[in-house]
Amino acid sequence: MLQFIVNWLAGTPSFAAPYALAALGLIIGERAGVLSLGAEGFMLVGALAGVAADLELGGYPAISLAVAMLAAAVVSLLFALLVVVLRVNQVIAGLAIVFFCQGLTSLVGTLAGWTNRAIGGLHEVAIWPLSDIPIVGRILFTQNLVVYLTVPIFFAVNNILSRSMLGLRLRSVGENPEAADAVGVSVPAYRLGAVVAGSALIGLAGGYLSVVDVKIWIPDMTGGRGWIAIALVIFARWQPWRALFGALLFGCIEALIPRIAAAGIQLPQYFLLMTPYLATIAVMIWAGLSKFGRSNEPAALGQPHVREERR
Amino acid sequence: MLEQAAHPAPPPLSLTVGRAHALRFGRINLEVRQSIPAWRQALILAGAVITGMAISAALLIAAGVKPRALLDEFVVETLTDSENLHSILFQAAPLIFVGVGAAVAFRVRFWNLGIEGQMIWGGIAATFVAFYEIGPPVARLPLMMLSAVLGGMAWIMVPTWLRLRLRVNEIITTLLLNYVALNFLLHLVYGPWLDPKDAFPHSPQFHSYERLPEIGWGLSSALVMALVFTALAAWLVQSTRFGFYTRFVHDNPRMALAVGVPIKAVMLISVLLSGGLSALAGFVIATAQEGRLTQSFFEGYGSSRCWWRCCSSAAAVCRSSARYPSPWFNSSRRSS
Repeated sequence: MLQFIVNWLAGTPSFAAPYALAALGLIIGERAGVLSLGAEGFMLVGALAGVAADLELGGYPAISLAVAMLAAAVVSLLFALLVVVLRVNQVIAGLAIVFFCQGLTSLVGTLAGWTNRAIGGLHEVAIWPLSDIPIVGRILFTQNLVVYLTVPIFFAVNNILSRSMLGLRLRSVGENPEAADAVGVSVPAYRLGAVVAGSALIGLAGGYLSVVDVKIWIPDMTGGRGWIAIALVIFARWQPWRALFGALLFGCIEALIPRIAAAGIQLPQYFLLMTPYLATIAVMIWAGLSKFGRSNEPAALGQPHVREERR
Repeated sequence: MLEQAAHPAPPPLSLTVGRAHALRFGRINLEVRQSIPAWRQALILAGAVITGMAISAALLIAAGVKPRALLDEFVVETLTDSENLHSILFQAAPLIFVGVGAAVAFRVRFWNLGIEGQMIWGGIAATFVAFYEIGPPVARLPLMMLSAVLGGMAWIMVPTWLRLRLRVNEIITTLLLNYVALNFLLHLVYGPWLDPKDAFPHSPQFHSYERLPEIGWGLSSALVMALVFTALAAWLVQSTRFGFYTRFVHDNPRMALAVGVPIKAVMLISVLLSGGLSALAGFVIATAQEGRLTQSFFEGYGSSRCWWRCCSSAAAVCRSSARYPSPWFNSSRRSS
């Protein structure tokens, strides 16, 4: 029993990392006021780009992940231009980007022959001597590099968002773009930058999924994780550390599913597969019921900003 | 006599703002047109469609398809061969249902992205009636249709209730319920409803009286149903007070609340209609096209709905309303 729990918790960070990174990227964008529903698409693009770089450029995971971030950032530029410059409805643009990316990645993956080819990936790095501690060592200190890097990334982004002038201006753009504009902050530039930077992180999450976790590219492999990340941001009330906690929660649930089956407990297979989605909905219901529900939402989330218009 | 005092030089930018952050895009401003004549809207829509097809054609040619063959396949054969035309019309019926369903929901700003899930439940409910042989053969088909509509409405009731009562974002809930519905469908067709004859993951074949009949000229009654429901929806939106309320709720919800429009009731009814129409799409595919419940009959309809929403709403539902706030055209400046 203890062994089951230890194994389960040791597998959790690996499942939680894509949710955490994607949620962080979304938080950056949404704090600037851009509701990015294209997360699923950017994750797919990052996943494909990561595998492609791994296959074509010699199999260095660091380069593959960097290429994944770059590819997602480039595709998000399209979304950012649609939403910030042309001021298309953000919901519709996000959905369109998701379908576009789904089709594009399937097509390009098949055409270039990157589908269904296994790659090396990253191995777990045991931090000796800490990893020799009986229970905690296995859970906390035997993970792969990207999981270790997630925590410094969270620290960095949280510091930038909450304690630097750049972060202050970004948050002001999301809360009250008219006021930010009056002070001289360039709303389009900050929103564009936020979307691209956030999407780079989402691409990293997707790249992690394909390069490090599953080590293969299959069309539509993200399986709804982008949408769950969007729900996570609402659950986390737009704060990075809560998003990390939520991601760990989801990692726990997702790590549990194969382990239950492997442990021989007979539960109907498809109902087990439903659990992440039902858990997300439960989390959103909880967020809706709790009295702090929407108080942290950036006030101008989803609203395009036009200097000449008054509201 | 007042002399024009010389204006003092404006204070340098560095005094007013910490640093010059302004990244101006020159003096170019993008403004949204207030109103667009119908012909221009049609032209823009046609242009968008042609651009999309051109890009797809370019991608296919880059992938190695010969341009001549492309032209043959998509233009010549499609429009001239009667059998191809027949199957196009056959395929159009569920798309029409899905488009109208999406349009009805999006009109009240309820982003119903769970259309595929509602289609699935429409198919499941219809198959339930067929599987358990409920009702005499004469009434079987209408009963299947009714249960499909009820199934779709019940499925969309969950995110609707969550949105209306707890203000839970319906984009995520409807979308995630898609995955839940899909898993339930797989559970059914791989489990209790597996066809015993060939052990493939689909339900047993429907009887002949459980399938939508064809009516003359090779047209399926599914298409007629689709057109009838589109006309009904158009009438509802354009000529009834309810339709007026939906427009009101879309354009200015706060004013609607102040004036006394029953916003929640309007939203509820619109969304239930949307769920019912999507479920009918599933019903139509199950009875007219496949003749049974299969595991992937809903695929692809979700992504077509955005485009169809625009097309069907612009063309079928609200032709004459010049101020119709179609999101592609002219209301991106209104807060969503």
